Amino acid sequence: MIKIIDTPFNPVIELEAFTKANSDAGAITSFLGQVRGEAGSVHELYLEQYPGVTKAGIQDAVTKANARWTLTGVMVIHRTGAMGVGEPIVLVATAAIHRRDAFLSCDYLMDYLKTEAVFWKRQTGAHGNKWIEPRAEDYKDSDRWDTL
Amino acid sequence: MIKILYFGRLRESAGRRAETIALPEGVTTISALKHWLNTAHELDGALDDPSVKTMINQALVYADIPLSGDEEIGFLPPVGGG
Repeated sequence: MIKIIDTPFNPVIELEAFTKANSDAGAITSFLGQVRGEAGSVHELYLEQYPGVTKAGIQDAVTKANARWTLTGVMVIHRTGAMGVGEPIVLVATAAIHRRDAFLSCDYLMDYLKTEAVFWKRQTGAHGNKWIEPRAEDYKDSDRWDTL
Repeated sequence: MIKILYFGRLRESAGRRAETIALPEGVTTISALKHWLNTAHELDGALDDPSVKTMINQALVYADIPLSGDEEIGFLPPVGGG
């Protein structure tokens, strides 16, 4: 299940629903990303998507994850719009029979979302507005799946 | 009519998120349209920047392909990830 939404979501409620829907799974891994305050220098994060294109890209990554690991369920919830410090941005959860598949697939999907997903991200803070691009470390994290 | 979408910093440079226009006279290809839009919106060549990707009907294009006048065209600066 992939949801791209422009209103706040409650990760606890979403994860509870995912857990219930995957009651046969022996392992569920989840990752929650939230807006960093950067010691008070960031006030707001704004994310923009290309409707249709952004979701198709995430769907492709989920299809690749399903081909690579044995999963019983995948959930990706991603925010767009303006978010304050501490607000959830992204929630990824993967369910599998055994823990290794759940851990690895969740990590893989987050690396896709951090580097290749079609989102534009603008930070507003003490120094004005700044459009953010992936860090070198994010690309390095994403590239390691080619050799693993 | 052509629907044009601007994302990220290009949206701010162009001063609009989207616009719907008829193919301007003499403009028959994507590169000619980019040139026309660069001038019309005073983008200082931003649409020709190699880092900006072009999508026609939500598919990436790299060649200078002809336009029929009925496309959705997206201009995508480098993505920022989620």
